[in-house]
Amino acid sequence: MSGGIFITGARLIDPASGRDLEGDLRVERGVIDAIGPGLSPEAGDQIIEADGAVLSPALIDIGARASEPGRSGIENLDITIRAAAAAGVGTLVLSSSSGAGLTRPEDIEWIGFRALHAPVRLLGAARTHTQASEMAEIGLMLRAGAPLVSDGGDLIADTRFLRNLLSYASAFDAWVGLTAEDMHLSAGTVAHESAMAVRLGLSARPGISQRLGVERLAALAELTGARILFERLTTADGLDAMKTARKRGLDVAASAPLTHLLFNEVDMGGLDPAYRLDPPLRSEADRQALLAAIAAGLIDVIVSDHTPVALEAKANPFSDAAPGSANLEALIPVLCTLDADGQLPLMAGLKALTSNPAELLGLPQGRLEEGAPADLVLFAPDMPNVYGKDGLESPAPSAFSGRRLQGRVLLSVVDGAMVYARPGFAE
Amino acid sequence: MGQGEYSYTFPHRGLIAASALNRVDLELIFDSARAHLTRNRTEDKKHPSLKGLTVINLFFEASTRTLASFEIAAKRLGADVVNFSAGNASLKKGETLADTANTLAAMQPDLLVVRHQSPGAADFFQRTTGISTINAGDGANEHPTQALLDLFTLSEHLGDVGGKRIAIVGDILHSRVARSNVALLSLMNADIRLCGPASLLPADADRWGASVFHSVEAAIEGCDAVMVLRLQRERMSSGLIPSAREYAAIYGLDHARLSLANQDCIVMHPGPMNRGIEITSALADDKGVSVILDQVEAGVAVRMAVLELLAGRGMQEMMP
Repeated sequence: MSGGIFITGARLIDPASGRDLEGDLRVERGVIDAIGPGLSPEAGDQIIEADGAVLSPALIDIGARASEPGRSGIENLDITIRAAAAAGVGTLVLSSSSGAGLTRPEDIEWIGFRALHAPVRLLGAARTHTQASEMAEIGLMLRAGAPLVSDGGDLIADTRFLRNLLSYASAFDAWVGLTAEDMHLSAGTVAHESAMAVRLGLSARPGISQRLGVERLAALAELTGARILFERLTTADGLDAMKTARKRGLDVAASAPLTHLLFNEVDMGGLDPAYRLDPPLRSEADRQALLAAIAAGLIDVIVSDHTPVALEAKANPFSDAAPGSANLEALIPVLCTLDADGQLPLMAGLKALTSNPAELLGLPQGRLEEGAPADLVLFAPDMPNVYGKDGLESPAPSAFSGRRLQGRVLLSVVDGAMVYARPGFAE
Repeated sequence: MGQGEYSYTFPHRGLIAASALNRVDLELIFDSARAHLTRNRTEDKKHPSLKGLTVINLFFEASTRTLASFEIAAKRLGADVVNFSAGNASLKKGETLADTANTLAAMQPDLLVVRHQSPGAADFFQRTTGISTINAGDGANEHPTQALLDLFTLSEHLGDVGGKRIAIVGDILHSRVARSNVALLSLMNADIRLCGPASLLPADADRWGASVFHSVEAAIEGCDAVMVLRLQRERMSSGLIPSAREYAAIYGLDHARLSLANQDCIVMHPGPMNRGIEITSALADDKGVSVILDQVEAGVAVRMAVLELLAGRGMQEMMP
C-alpha cells in the first residue's frame, strides 16, 4: 500500500513554468511524485477524478488577517485557517496587523506553535514598529520565522525613523512591506477622490497620495538598499511610480488587494458599508490599470486582504463603518470570473498567488514540479455560484456576499494531505 | 627607538585628531608610554616633567574614567591640575564658547584637555586660545587618546598590528572611538572590519578603508582582536534599533561568537560597558581574552606621554 493520491484527468496549470496541459498528478509522502499525461496510479493510491477541473499549486496568500493574537474578534485563527483551506490557500502569511498585532518575537513563535496543528502552512509577518518611532524587534521576529516585515497598514509618517528602520532591516535582507500613501492626504478619508465621492459628500483621498507614497519609499529604498514591498497598490498613479522605481533598478515589489480587481467606486455608490475598504475602492480606470499591471508582472502578488470585522462594526453608515471585508474564500471565484470575462488570464492571476509570492519569500512551494511540496488546489473554473449562498467558513461580512461569481474550490491538498473537499466531492 | 635616534621633535602643538599623527609620532608616544607604564607599577610613580605647568581638564560632557585618567596622568607628571566639569553652565549664562575659552586662557594654563559634545570643539579652543589642547572627545568626531591607548594595548599583545584583522563592533555611526581607531589602524595597515546594525553604520563606512559587516559572526571570523563599542540606550528610544534584547541577541559578543575568531583573539572595550548587552559579563571578565583593564592602565601611561610631548618635555629631554 503506497497510500498516495492520484489525481487524473485534470487541467494542470503551473504558473512557475507557464505549463497548461491536460494530465495526471501523483502525490506521495508530501511531495509531487509525478506529473504528466498518461500516468498510472500505484496500488493503494486514492484516485481522484478531476474531470477537467483545474489543478494548480495551492495559493499563497501573504496578506490575510485573523482576529488573533490578543483579541477575541469575530473570527479566531481556527476559523481563518479553515477558510484558507476551503479557499485553496496552502500557505497563509498572516498580516502583521492580525489581532492586536504581531509585534513581538513571542507572537511569531505563537504562530509557529499554532502552525504545528494547522492543516495549512501558517506564518506570521513581523510588524515593523510598535510606536510611531519605536522599532519592533524585527531581527528576533525574522529569526523566529517571520517571512517578511510589514507596517501592517499603519503608515510611518516620520521619514527619518523610516530611513533608520529600512537601514536596519536591510542588514537582514528581508522584504519590508510598507503602505505607500501620503499620510496627510490620506488621513480621515473614506473614499477615492472623484466626482462620485464629491457627489456623495465623502471625505476623499486623491490617487496621487499613493504616487507620493511610492516615490517617497522608492527614494528611501535607493538610499538604504532596503527591499520594499509596496503593499496594496490600487491606483494608476501609484503604478506609474512603481514602474519608474523598477526601471531605476530598485529592489521593489508590489501587491494588490483582491477586492480592487473586481470592484470599483461605483460599487460603493449605494453607500453600502460592505464596500467600506482601506484603501478605498478606486475608479474603473484604476481597476483596469491594476489588472494590466498584474498581467504585465508589474504587480507581483495578489493578496486576499482578508480583514474580518465584527458585524456590529459594519452596522453603521458608510463613513462610520469599519473598513474591511472577509475575502479568503473569494480568491478562486474572483480569478475565475476575471478570466471568464476576459479581464485577467487565469495563468497571470494564479502566478500572482502561487509562484510569485513563493519566489518573493523564498518558499519551496507554489509550483507543480516533481519533488516540490504537494500543496495543490483543484477547482472547477466554470461552476457558477452566488458568493456565500451555500455558506462560508468565515462568518465575517464580505464585500463579495451575494455576488454572482464563477469557479469553486473542489479540493485542497497541503503537504500531501487533503485539507478540504467540497461537500459531495472526493468523499 | 627614541627621539634622538630620529632627530625628530614631536611637531604637534596639540592633539586634536588621530588622523594627524604619523608612524614616527606613534613610536615616540609609545616608547614614552612604555616607560611610564613600567614606572606606574612601582611605588614611586612621580616623574616631574610637567612641574610648574598647569593643566585644565575642561569637560562639557560627563565623564569619569577619561577625566580621572587625564588627571592622574598630569598629576603623576607633577603638573597643577584643575578640573572644570562645565556642563553648559557658562553658555546658559549667555556666554559664548569663545568667551569661556578666552577666560580660561587669561588664567595662563599650559595645556587644555577638552571634552565637548560638538565636533570641532577642541580645535576651536586651541585656535581661540593658542594653548596646546588635547581632544578628549568632540561629539562623534574624534577621541585620539582613546585610539592611542587602544593601539598601544593592541601592540603590547599582538606586536606589529600591520596585517592583523581587527573588528570594531557596535554603534559606529555615533562613535568617536571608532573614527579615531580607524585612522590609527589604517596608518598601521591593519585589516579593519566595521560591524553593526545598518542603522548604526555611516552610509559611507565602506569608504573608510575598512570592510563593512552586518553579521557579527562574519565580521569576527579570523580576527586577532575585537573592539566592542558601548551601546547608548538612547539609540533605542530614538528609533535606531529595536531593543537591548534584540541588540544583545544579534550583535552582542559572547564566547560562542568569539570562537569564530583566531584562537588568541583579544577583546577590547572603551568602557563603560553595558554588561549583557554589547558584551556578556563572562567574556568581559575572562582574563584569558579580555584586555579591558589593560586598556585603562595603558590610558594613563599614553596620556602621560602625550602631555609630555605636547609640553615639549618628552622623556628623552629629561634624561641625563
